[in-house]
Amino acid sequence: MKKFNYQELVDSEQALQKRSIFWDPAIYEEELKQIFNRCWLFLGHESQLPQPGDFIRTYMGEDDVIVVRGKDKVIRAFLNACTHRGNKVCQAEGGNTRSFTCSYHGWSFNTEGELAGVPLEKEIYDNLPRERFGLVPVARLDSYKGLLFGCFSESAPSLIDYLGDIAWYIDVVTDSAQGGLEVVGAPYKTEIPGNWKLPVENAIGDGYHVAWAHAGAMSVVGAIGNGRSDNVLGINANNTGVDQSGAIEIVMNTHTVLTTLDGQSGYALYDHPEPVLAHLERNRPNVIEKLGELRGRQLYGSETHIGVFPNVQIIQGLNFIRIIHPKGPGKFEVWTYAMCERGMPDATKEIIHDHVRQTFGPAGLLEGDDGDFVEAITHSAAGYATRQMQGFLGMGMGRKAPWDGPGEASPGLVNEACQRGFYNQWRRTMEADNAYGVIGQTAPVTPVTAVLKEFRHG
Amino acid sequence: MANAELKLAPTAPVSFEQEYAIGKFLSMEARLLDEERYPDWLELLTEDIRYQIPVAISTYRRARQGSTTLKPLFIIDDGFPGLKQRADREATGLVWLNDPATRHLRIITNIEVETTDTPNEFLVRSKFMIFRGRRDKDIASHAGWREDILRQTPQGWRIARRVVHLIERVVMDKNLNMFF
Repeated sequence: MKKFNYQELVDSEQALQKRSIFWDPAIYEEELKQIFNRCWLFLGHESQLPQPGDFIRTYMGEDDVIVVRGKDKVIRAFLNACTHRGNKVCQAEGGNTRSFTCSYHGWSFNTEGELAGVPLEKEIYDNLPRERFGLVPVARLDSYKGLLFGCFSESAPSLIDYLGDIAWYIDVVTDSAQGGLEVVGAPYKTEIPGNWKLPVENAIGDGYHVAWAHAGAMSVVGAIGNGRSDNVLGINANNTGVDQSGAIEIVMNTHTVLTTLDGQSGYALYDHPEPVLAHLERNRPNVIEKLGELRGRQLYGSETHIGVFPNVQIIQGLNFIRIIHPKGPGKFEVWTYAMCERGMPDATKEIIHDHVRQTFGPAGLLEGDDGDFVEAITHSAAGYATRQMQGFLGMGMGRKAPWDGPGEASPGLVNEACQRGFYNQWRRTMEADNAYGVIGQTAPVTPVTAVLKEFRHG
Repeated sequence: MANAELKLAPTAPVSFEQEYAIGKFLSMEARLLDEERYPDWLELLTEDIRYQIPVAISTYRRARQGSTTLKPLFIIDDGFPGLKQRADREATGLVWLNDPATRHLRIITNIEVETTDTPNEFLVRSKFMIFRGRRDKDIASHAGWREDILRQTPQGWRIARRVVHLIERVVMDKNLNMFF
């Protein structure tokens, strides 16, 4: 017996989504359990934690999590909650430390998560079993080529199985990077009064809004603003025509990708892309050698939005990684990290950082437009009648594009294929009986003890 | 970090007239922005202006500098062309968020003026509160302080450098598409 009538919430055949999914607190509570307590969630990148003792804080759903490289160089993740009474043991967003000390009674934990210090221990406890009171580890932690993911489900499929075909696309970002991918420093963080799903599907699939919602920015930045071109991503400056040739939206089992396939238009929004384009062409032969012609010529350098379900987008071209952290049904935080190739000349990295700040930082020329409609879509669903309405994502339905890579391709970026893919995956995840159901598989037979554990943890 | 670049002389006296004029200039500048007179505001900037808003990263006081997780991050780090681009965007009439018109209000206070070792440049510190009201009750506000270098030119006072420090880490607004 499902908690909700999911056919009514997401009608895949007609591409309709009931608006209550952006507002209903009961649906949100179910999302925390079904999605954020089961899926592999992006934590950060290994380049953020080069030294023992380096740590960052992030969220998995609404759970506050510390990711730390221990003295033994192993990266671990823990719930940021003291095992004594539950206060946070870390209030900094990152840095380097030997220990995490609770501000309530001073219990202290080392970077391997062990309880290392209890004030007045000998006087107040008789044989406190310290080993029982280490920080609670996130059940699973794994890295895909430096991208760190965590998962609360002991019985979930492996990270590589969870990623599935999208790994083929992630490789274009990770394997092409000279000297490896580099995520530098802390992210931009903005809290927006909207539902978390809306910015996710906007970033992974909504090419339609670019020329209209961002009309002000589009007329002053990049190729159009500088007169290099009269269109960006196939959409002309006045939003009066669209060239859908070349670009595709790809829906895979679980995840999605959109890409321009031209090998360079990721930099169309840059005011001064020349050094980045020069780097691309210098590096392209290496990428072709490593990844083959298709990925080396058509994907490397293209504007490519890799959407890993549920809430991370790896965006090549604009060059950032973005996480959407849910904060209740009507609020989310968006975290944006600039990403570069470690081996790029410093001046080229600087251009990328400047551009991420200029376009999608908190004062970004494009970023500022999206929060507004995301808020309005969410909050208008407070109205009972409005909440009965359904969103329609039927654009490009049934249209197929030839594509030799993994997944089903549909032509053009002004297309809603990826957004349909996202909501279909949302529905499957909400309906799944176990963590394997999230990726459309049947769970292998598990020992009774593991089942009981899963049951107890909900 | 911004301070390191400012060549401070031991505090030399600043005349009442200069201090008064600087206060009036900052009030006028704030009003131009409140009135969305962006081309007029751009006239108040030097061609070589640097305008920065660093992110107030939440690290422990004892945090060791230099670790890669602690590198500075800027919300805005613009010269004149970047600021002009932002102003131009506001003037396109295509920023839907600002129609109906946004109401702006800036309060500039606690102005302190110091001399620098460049005779016609002054270090000016001020505190601000900025409010934006949109539509029915979409009100956002931000508070912080600024460190400016103001340059006295034949045309009047000009802003040669501005560093804006916000007290918030997570930006609690749909965007910071505004000038502080």
